[in-house]
Amino acid sequence: MFFRKFRRSFGTFISVFILVFIVVAPFYWIFSSSVKTNQEIISRDLTFFPHSSTLKHYTDLFAASNYPRYLFNSTLVATLTMIITVILATMAAYAIYRLRFPGRNIIAKLILSAYAFPSILLLIPLYLMLSSIQPKLIDTPWALVIVNVTFAAPFGVWMLQAFFKSVPVELEDAAYMDGANRLQTMILIMLPLTAPGISSIAIYSFISSWTEYMFASVFILGEANRTIPVGLAGIVGQYQVDWGLLLAGATIATLPVLILFSLVGRNFVEGLTAGSVK
Amino acid sequence: MYKKLFKVIALVMMASLVLAACAPATSTATQAPAATKAPAATKAPAATEAPTSAEPVTIMIWHMEQPAYRVARIQELIDEFNAANPGIVVSQEPQSWGDIYTKAPAAVAAGNGPDLLFAIPDFTPIMRATDAVQPVEDFVNEMDVAHKYMPAAIAPYNYDGHIWAIPLWSMSHNLWYSKSAFEKAGVTPPVTWDEWLAAAKKLTADGQYGIGLPGNKNLYTDQTTYDFMVNNGAEEIYNSDGTLRFDNAQTVEALDFYSKLFKYSPPDSTGWAWGEAEACLASKTCAMVLQFTVISTFDSQSGSDANDLGVIAIPHNSSQSQSNTIAYSNAVMVLTADKAKQEAAYKFLRFIMEPKNYGRFLTMEPGLYLPVTEDGSVADSYWNDAMVVKYKSQIETMVENSKNGMLFGFTNGNTFQSISQISAQNLIAQTLQKILVDKEPAAQAVAEGQKLMEESITK
Amino acid sequence: MNESELEQSYFGSKLRRNESILGILLILPLVLWMIFAIVIPLISAIKLSFQDVGMIGSKGNLIGFENYRHVLTDPNFWKSFGRSLIWVISNAVIQTVVAFISAVILMQKFHLRSLARVWIILSWIVPTVVVIIIWRWMLGTSGGIVNYLLVSLGVLSTPVGFFSTANSAFISIVLINSWRWFPLMTVILLAGMEGIPQELYEAASIDGATGWQQFLRITFPMLRPVLYVLGLIGTLWSINVFDIIWLATGGGPSNATMTLPVYIYNMAFKGYRLSRASAASIIMGIILLVFVIVYDRINKPADAD
Repeated sequence: MFFRKFRRSFGTFISVFILVFIVVAPFYWIFSSSVKTNQEIISRDLTFFPHSSTLKHYTDLFAASNYPRYLFNSTLVATLTMIITVILATMAAYAIYRLRFPGRNIIAKLILSAYAFPSILLLIPLYLMLSSIQPKLIDTPWALVIVNVTFAAPFGVWMLQAFFKSVPVELEDAAYMDGANRLQTMILIMLPLTAPGISSIAIYSFISSWTEYMFASVFILGEANRTIPVGLAGIVGQYQVDWGLLLAGATIATLPVLILFSLVGRNFVEGLTAGSVK
Repeated sequence: MYKKLFKVIALVMMASLVLAACAPATSTATQAPAATKAPAATKAPAATEAPTSAEPVTIMIWHMEQPAYRVARIQELIDEFNAANPGIVVSQEPQSWGDIYTKAPAAVAAGNGPDLLFAIPDFTPIMRATDAVQPVEDFVNEMDVAHKYMPAAIAPYNYDGHIWAIPLWSMSHNLWYSKSAFEKAGVTPPVTWDEWLAAAKKLTADGQYGIGLPGNKNLYTDQTTYDFMVNNGAEEIYNSDGTLRFDNAQTVEALDFYSKLFKYSPPDSTGWAWGEAEACLASKTCAMVLQFTVISTFDSQSGSDANDLGVIAIPHNSSQSQSNTIAYSNAVMVLTADKAKQEAAYKFLRFIMEPKNYGRFLTMEPGLYLPVTEDGSVADSYWNDAMVVKYKSQIETMVENSKNGMLFGFTNGNTFQSISQISAQNLIAQTLQKILVDKEPAAQAVAEGQKLMEESITK
Repeated sequence: MNESELEQSYFGSKLRRNESILGILLILPLVLWMIFAIVIPLISAIKLSFQDVGMIGSKGNLIGFENYRHVLTDPNFWKSFGRSLIWVISNAVIQTVVAFISAVILMQKFHLRSLARVWIILSWIVPTVVVIIIWRWMLGTSGGIVNYLLVSLGVLSTPVGFFSTANSAFISIVLINSWRWFPLMTVILLAGMEGIPQELYEAASIDGATGWQQFLRITFPMLRPVLYVLGLIGTLWSINVFDIIWLATGGGPSNATMTLPVYIYNMAFKGYRLSRASAASIIMGIILLVFVIVYDRINKPADAD
């Protein structure tokens, strides 16, 4: 009995260890390499724990590029994307899953079918459109916010489905009895009950915007509005291979989401879970 | 739980604000003076509407000189110029050759293009399709009178009745090698292809690769492939009537020989750009590479003495009498139709072409950029640069090698503008990849390559 | 909650009219946003596909279906389409299998379980550029840890270039892409599994069902609604992947990793044939729409709408 239990928990331990290793080990490898000196980085004898330690690559990174600006731009675009996605998706999900009006099922399907359009298909006409309308949106953070919201919101609506469907209609009815109108019930009853789901889509939209590369590489022309992925791809460069600089850049690009996730990562996972449990 | 989320959102916003506050400051400290960078960087109305007595003329330069020390050297010159010319504000934005063929036409179409854009001959026809490129023969003639241009520098930009860009420098490929690796293997610098192949074979041992050759679908591989073609009498891609003659026996032989040498190149070189080749030589993993220059990487990373860096002309097939190489005349296009801006841009370029500044401009990458004016090629500002002094013998060899330079589409006084389509899609490199990756026979690959080229240049 | 319940609810009929207005008002912003960002560009893409525009900013003439004819007869289009198919299928298989295994592992009770559940997602939250830097760094021939380990363990005699041959490059980017995306699938599956009532499993074990049988009879059917949407969105996400491929291999070596998005991007921005690229992307869009309709018919679970 004891041995079987031990074997079982040992099996669990091993499988969890392998899983975590697959995901985390590559990150350990770039973090630890980014503080090695150049000689140690390109040395043929690999060192699993850095023998040398230096912050040179980090100071180089900040001296050689507008990294703080990229960080700021990425944060700005991701935050705007997050706020707008949450507002639009919550309103739409409430309407689709709690209200009855003609055509809602078709609209729900159409919204989700946004993913059926190849994003590459939209790249060219959107570029032309954003550069021809006034005010000119191309080469501004708004150009990226527009596409990021477009591709985050449909998934957000779907994620909220379970939450909105799960709130008992009696709760709302009780609120009407007390004289609250629709809007008040939505804000006072529904929002708090669906908060975990809303926080999940907030995080989802932030992350998807933070990682977006294709549109950012075409829509942003100058240095001023470059986001992290494009700025980092620029540092990768063609003339030189400076692994120290690249690894430092990769580390810095990871840190903000790492911090964000250590604060609210649990909300994301629990939000998803709560949605399906209810 | 969600309260915490709102706290985090507030935190993120605050972090953004803090970053916003210090971001321009940081870039100011590292890259540009406040006046140059701030308006471009923030785009905020507050910054642009700052009370100034007279609206200065702004000149935005896009170039592909990404490495930090090149950007820093250009900024040095810009700062001096801006300080001496209060009415003009020049600023720079480094771009990449990888996406400038996409980005520059798009930016011009969107009305966000630069005023000055650096160019190589096969890039100019692409930009001309946007109608933004201004004829500059008057200014080129003025510079010619003042500094005496080398004629070969202007020729590839002179067609359709105008000169379309102002030549800035030239550059050409050489064979760079590690002298100590050669000594250790008992190899002497090769002159012909047979000697080259034998040397590469002999040098491939103990984790060292005989040569680092790219096999990627990019501009670098276009260049190295052409290096082989010009050393086998296959420099002409076009017939004189503008039809293609890429598919010929010399090209086939050249590409076939490339694939033979490629066996002694590191296994990941199908993904290389210029940087990997330089790093390979500097880390002593490769004994030879084909490159414009490797001097600064070699100097900073190899830890070897300057004397250990060898440079020779690219070996030629024994059927040829001399070694040739690929050579570029790099230039700058004027993209603004605004007369005041044009004048300001010319003023800046006059400043750059002055012998006392020109050498400093060229030595942003020591040894890479060779002068294209007569007074520039003897300028103290060039030859007194510390790195140029240190690697003087190598640079003298480079200058010598560059005399036999050629460029696809611009050979023997011809200019075939459709080369820009072939070059933008890296079709020469793609042809080579058919041999290296798909293991096609060279003759078949070259025939298919010509078909791809014909397709690309038909409207 | 379903339709009839709402219908019967006390306020169902009374508030009907107000409800419609409110519903439309609430959904309007998102619909307008989508019209602006998808429908209008789509219309101009269709217009563009019948012209002969080469470069951004240049003018074109109407040339009818010429671009469509060209794309449909281009062997490279069909090769890229084939690669996209293999790409989607191999990614789907690998990610589904790995995500299921990971989800089952994370359902076990162990120390720090909630921590592991949060951080499993690490590889999904970093920019794709970082993902590419990580793997190019690890898979490199000089200094790459994977080659180092394989050579030290005697699996390989000399380092290999993972991106150098057609097959190894394709397999490498499939694995890299799966590494990036499987955590999100794991978390979503985990959420679905949490929702399955424990009593079902208890009842099944009393009946003597093995773990595998429980998985097939309980877990899998209960997850169908989640799997339905994941399968649909996941396929569409996956076929649209551009950044990983572009940054890792640029479609090479020798077009071995050129999927449809890379083919279209190359045609538009390297070959300067915007109109033809638009035609290609519209054909791709039609293929995806057909997929969505067929998928919907075949897989639709009874209760999903």
